[in-house]
Amino acid sequence: MLANGDKFDAFADGGSANARSPEGWMQIRGLTKSFAGELALRDADVDVARGEVHGLVGANGAGKSTLIRCLAGVTLADRGWITINGEELRQGSPQASEQAGLAFIHQELNLIPRFSALQNMLLGVPKTTRFGLIDWKRSSVRARAAAERIGMRFPLERRVSELSVAERWLVMIGKALTRDASMIAMDEPTASLSGPESEQLFSIIRDLSADGVAILYVSHRLEEVLELCDRVTILRDGRIVEEAERGRLDKKGLVRAIIGHDIRAPEDRERFAADKAGKPIFSVRDVAWREAVKGVSFDVYRGEVLALGGLIGAGRTELAQLAAGVRRPDAGHFELDGKRLGIANEAEAVKAGIALVPEERRSQGLMLQLSVGNNINIASLAKLRAFPGLPFLSNGKGRRQAERLVGELSIRTSSIASKIATLSGGNQQKALIARWLGFGARLLILDEPSRGVDVGAREEIHDAIRALARSGVGIIVISSDVEELAMLADRVLVMREGRLSGELTGADIAEARIIELSYHDAHSGKGDKA
Amino acid sequence: MTARRETDARSALAPRPIDWKHLGLIFLSRYGTIFGLALMIVFYSVMAPNTFFSRANLLNILSAASLTAIIAAGLTYTLVVGEFDLSVGYVASFIGLIVVGLMSYQGLPIWLSIPAALAIGIGLGLINGALVTKVRINAVISTLGLGTMLTGIGFSYSAFPIATGIPRAFTNIALGRVLFGIPNPVFVMLGILVILWIILNKTDIGQKMQAVGGNIEAARLSGIRVDRIKMFAFATAGFCAALTGIMLSSLLGSGTLGVGDGYLLDAFAAVFLGSATLREGEFHIVGTLVGVLILAVGFNGLAILGAPTHFQPIFKGGILILAVGMSTLARRYAASN
Repeated sequence: MLANGDKFDAFADGGSANARSPEGWMQIRGLTKSFAGELALRDADVDVARGEVHGLVGANGAGKSTLIRCLAGVTLADRGWITINGEELRQGSPQASEQAGLAFIHQELNLIPRFSALQNMLLGVPKTTRFGLIDWKRSSVRARAAAERIGMRFPLERRVSELSVAERWLVMIGKALTRDASMIAMDEPTASLSGPESEQLFSIIRDLSADGVAILYVSHRLEEVLELCDRVTILRDGRIVEEAERGRLDKKGLVRAIIGHDIRAPEDRERFAADKAGKPIFSVRDVAWREAVKGVSFDVYRGEVLALGGLIGAGRTELAQLAAGVRRPDAGHFELDGKRLGIANEAEAVKAGIALVPEERRSQGLMLQLSVGNNINIASLAKLRAFPGLPFLSNGKGRRQAERLVGELSIRTSSIASKIATLSGGNQQKALIARWLGFGARLLILDEPSRGVDVGAREEIHDAIRALARSGVGIIVISSDVEELAMLADRVLVMREGRLSGELTGADIAEARIIELSYHDAHSGKGDKA
Repeated sequence: MTARRETDARSALAPRPIDWKHLGLIFLSRYGTIFGLALMIVFYSVMAPNTFFSRANLLNILSAASLTAIIAAGLTYTLVVGEFDLSVGYVASFIGLIVVGLMSYQGLPIWLSIPAALAIGIGLGLINGALVTKVRINAVISTLGLGTMLTGIGFSYSAFPIATGIPRAFTNIALGRVLFGIPNPVFVMLGILVILWIILNKTDIGQKMQAVGGNIEAARLSGIRVDRIKMFAFATAGFCAALTGIMLSSLLGSGTLGVGDGYLLDAFAAVFLGSATLREGEFHIVGTLVGVLILAVGFNGLAILGAPTHFQPIFKGGILILAVGMSTLARRYAASN
């Protein structure tokens, strides 16, 4: 794949700070990948020794998934190489990765629910046949041995759909061992496990490690990582910023490395302090939904930009969807201007004046085949009729509204008739805000408003959000980018595992504080294991 | 981070080199069908100048095209909202039978039986819509199921063709030539196409339909009542299918079981050909008309050149596969840019 010269270059780039034992069982050198011009991973060098438990941490979007996807062969790196046991891995081929002994357990656990545990473990493994029929007994010898090894105590004939999440994890690990995996990558393994189940998993991981199976452990739960991992690699903005042996890092250091060494002092920016004595625009009262949101209450006041911080999976997106009528809360309710709302669906939420600019701009926000103007006007068509009472749209009204909003939000497009798909991410996002500006929303919830947006557009989006807030629209911004939260918010509420873990106002709004609250509750020293 | 943003800005500003292959594909995906239609007309005109390119034959083509165009335009609506309606052919057959039966068996006057038949068509469309949006049955299954049931219900209504007791005024609808000697169905087709085009492009319900078809999640979050929009599309498809059925019975001068079934395939082929016309993989009314004309010219030319009858299904099936293939490729191409 790569000429020898490139390999030497890759070594040279590694520099002395990254000097590693050359006998690493798996070596990754100079792995670089960009998506649509954005570098998701650059010059990553990682070594994993045989039987090592290797932690991989970093904020959302730091490049962990990209690294894993490259290893799994589902993403082809732009450059860089990987060797396993001295042999270069053919990249971009899931089969090659599997043959090299790499196994991957994603959070969603790719199992077939209708199949038994055994069938799942043997999926894709060549089976012994007799007279052309599968000989399950012989075929399953190795699977049963694997099950024995990790202590699977339930009958392997059970359907996966009847198994608990913890048992499914065992099936996945068993599946990896059935195909002789020498390294298993695990993505947030404890996210859906209880305390004792997690402990069981850890002891399995330790046993596997003692047997020479390496584990690549990806987690946001830093205490687990510190406790379990022999070595930790920390990624930030697509770069490996630190690599440390067990005992050389503590949680504080880990957090610092994750968000960057240059923890800025809280900005001196004037933060708008809303008049909390006044009536809130929007209130959340004891809202709960399944496991994701566990009883959340807060108020949004006139003029302020309220931000929700926290990690992915903390329940923020779900909360936004509950408010916008995408889901219905199991308990609790919302109030707009002091009036209790009963919202059954998105249309009713919009009618009440609650709008959501969703997290996934392309898949949930935009109609990519339509023009900029159509995308902006789609929520306010009733206003754009030629004659009230008749369904015909006035071309002029639609054009004027779209052009006015394009101007107000400085959306850069050659015309409102251009397809929205041709705009940059930042301008698409501004068009989505324009949609609700034209509609006249009372409460606007923006989920990750500047994801994948360049820095200039981000400023403009922030300005637009602030202007909307000052004009009396209730604003809730969800962002996993702490830098953005610190820049934009007048008040920050941090969510952790479905609950509010703290509130920050004024000078307290600092990146480090937000991160801290994402991992701990405000008044307890303990964090992640709860 | 900064470097990342710089590259982003750079790639956005840098002029792209002209990619001729890309432009060629765009041309082919947008104008390929129109080009094909023109080629066919030229080819047949050269091969059979006196028969194919005569006023009588061209009117013949238009007349044949108009019934397909009406049913296909309704079908276009269901595809615009991202659904499917496999019942349109059966609805046309069923309503064609019912409308004649209402006059012949029930003795209703023509001005009552036609609106009643159209209303039944709309009702069938609404049933399809409810099955898809409320019960959430896959559209392929629900519409095929309903269509099949209609065949049976039609049979129980009248096992034999109804050919008596049909007023002259009814047969005159499709057989007459009110203006310039052009067959009436052509005007009906034009009227329907214009109305459906206006609704789709100039009213808020049309905008909402396009939004629902474009991105159903985004449409929901924009406050659009997605289910109602889909119901409207199915009702329109039912109405258009009913209208085609009525025109067909008028043309044949009888109510005959199953005469409209074959329109299903023609309509689908036309709609998919149309989606690969002018736009990349989007369903729209003008495109559907082009698709219908391709089919009509194709069939007519084959007949005039004396191709054996078994050529027709080969042509029809081939065109359907070609059309869906082109449409899919066009959409994939649009998505990748």
